[in-house]
Amino acid sequence: MNLVRAEWTKLLSTKVGYWMLLVAALMAGGFTALFTALAGSENGLPPVGSTAFAEVVAGIPAQVAVIPLVLGIIGMTQEYRHRTATPTFLVSPRRGRVVVAKLLAYAVVGVVVAVVVVAVVVAVATVYGSARGGAPDWTSDTLGVLARSGLALVVFAVIGVGVGALVRNQVGAVVGSLVYLFVIESIIASIPATADAYRFLPGGALAAMTGSGGGGVDLLTEWQGGLLLLGYGLVAAVLGSVLAVRRDVV
Amino acid sequence: MVGAERGHHRGGVISTQTAPDEGRVEVHDLTKTFGSVTAVDSLSFTVEPGQVTGFLGPNGAGKTTTLRMALGLITPDRGSTTIGGTPYAALRQPARHVGAVLETAFHPGRSGRDHLRVYCRAAGLPVERADEVLARVGLTPAARRKAGNYSLGMRQRLGLATALLGDPRVLVLDEPANGLDPEGIQWLRGFLRHLAHDEGRTVLISSHLLSEVEQTADRVVIVGAGKLVRQGSLDELRRESAGTVTVRSPQVDALAAALAGAGAAVTTTAPGALQVSGLTTDEIGHRAFAAGVELHELSARTSGLEEVYFRLTAGAEQYAATTTPGSVA
Repeated sequence: MNLVRAEWTKLLSTKVGYWMLLVAALMAGGFTALFTALAGSENGLPPVGSTAFAEVVAGIPAQVAVIPLVLGIIGMTQEYRHRTATPTFLVSPRRGRVVVAKLLAYAVVGVVVAVVVVAVVVAVATVYGSARGGAPDWTSDTLGVLARSGLALVVFAVIGVGVGALVRNQVGAVVGSLVYLFVIESIIASIPATADAYRFLPGGALAAMTGSGGGGVDLLTEWQGGLLLLGYGLVAAVLGSVLAVRRDVV
Repeated sequence: MVGAERGHHRGGVISTQTAPDEGRVEVHDLTKTFGSVTAVDSLSFTVEPGQVTGFLGPNGAGKTTTLRMALGLITPDRGSTTIGGTPYAALRQPARHVGAVLETAFHPGRSGRDHLRVYCRAAGLPVERADEVLARVGLTPAARRKAGNYSLGMRQRLGLATALLGDPRVLVLDEPANGLDPEGIQWLRGFLRHLAHDEGRTVLISSHLLSEVEQTADRVVIVGAGKLVRQGSLDELRRESAGTVTVRSPQVDALAAALAGAGAAVTTTAPGALQVSGLTTDEIGHRAFAAGVELHELSARTSGLEEVYFRLTAGAEQYAATTTPGSVA
């Protein structure tokens, strides 16, 4: 618990966390405003006030999942980048505990990001939607999508810590995971021969979880997607912990 | 003040160990190979409380690797280190036993005070300790400034403050004088001697320069190419550096005979002058007087600690410059 609090102190005493939260809120709010503005027009978006529109809105928080991912990566890799891994592991020589503390701390950070992002999305959709003719019509189904969409942010924060522990090089880990999510997975999803595998990849699992995207590819069910994503997070975390414990800190 | 502070933080933490052993660092048979380079080779030595011990050796001799192995950051291929009888990684609250500065590591965007608070939290210490140690190293005025804007000397002080957080029995500092101005070095020397001599802590400082620790250290552990070259008190080393004695006399032959009988090595360096080793000036003077020999000069020439250190570590440099005459293009 001391170590988890130490992680929060680390995050709150530098600017990166605040900036990332601001960027996530702006991105999510911007997407929502854009979708609301285009709702009901000829480009296929359902009209404001409908259940279908609520479902579109509910998927928006998951679109900023890269932010908690990057936050988690930075949280882990900054120890190596600024060489604070040395004092950190001196204070807690049981290094596995440090990684576990980071996973827990960033899961909570992910919750905070998710709450803020979901609140911004709902607020923008409600206020701007009402001005355009009606707030989204929430049903238990669409609220479920919204909740899973927010949950995805938490899982991505955890995955970020795991990836950071594996890769250690901050720029490499951030660039690598963005290229993977936006380039490699898109290619895999677009090639017929490999499209089948897409649903088992993190991006495909995220799409399944929020019932959005997929581009016509078969996806897993929502809960399968969520569990698979969580599984990726745990694998990254366990591998990261094991490596952090075994590698020399030089 | 200091005593009360220590009592407060140490209360009940180490109840199973007796006081004198608590701060003893024992390095036993440490060995580490990186690829084909044996960085540390069967190294064993002991560091005692109440003294400043200098850990000396040329760059690349394996000092930093040894310290990192002692503190559980690098896994040795063989051997072990104990602090008060316990390996570092097995210490329940390591920050309360050992404080170490291996490099000036901090997040540049975090203030010195917040940096210390992070480690207070991680070590389970009250965050007020951050302000106490800042005051101790004279960083209070810069406490809220970003550590990235600190001067090199201030970074060293911040590192030292981090090491002092848990009020440890043992302090390990890797090249602490790097980047300090003469005033800072003066301050550091006094501070470290105070920690060891007045507060009874174990202080181990590494350096590649003997002159840097000569005025601070009581003992030295000298390594070269990963092996132990020498460990002992600085006084022992100084005695070893007692070099040769130059004697001038109008009766050199009679003097040489008298001194050779006493087991000294005598060489004639100039007409009427001898160089003697193995006897002190007192002994030579006494024998000359007993033999009725007139003396015109009797002077000792010490080779100096630095020369002894250089001799001990000669050839141990990992990346020694080649000095073959004529090889310069």
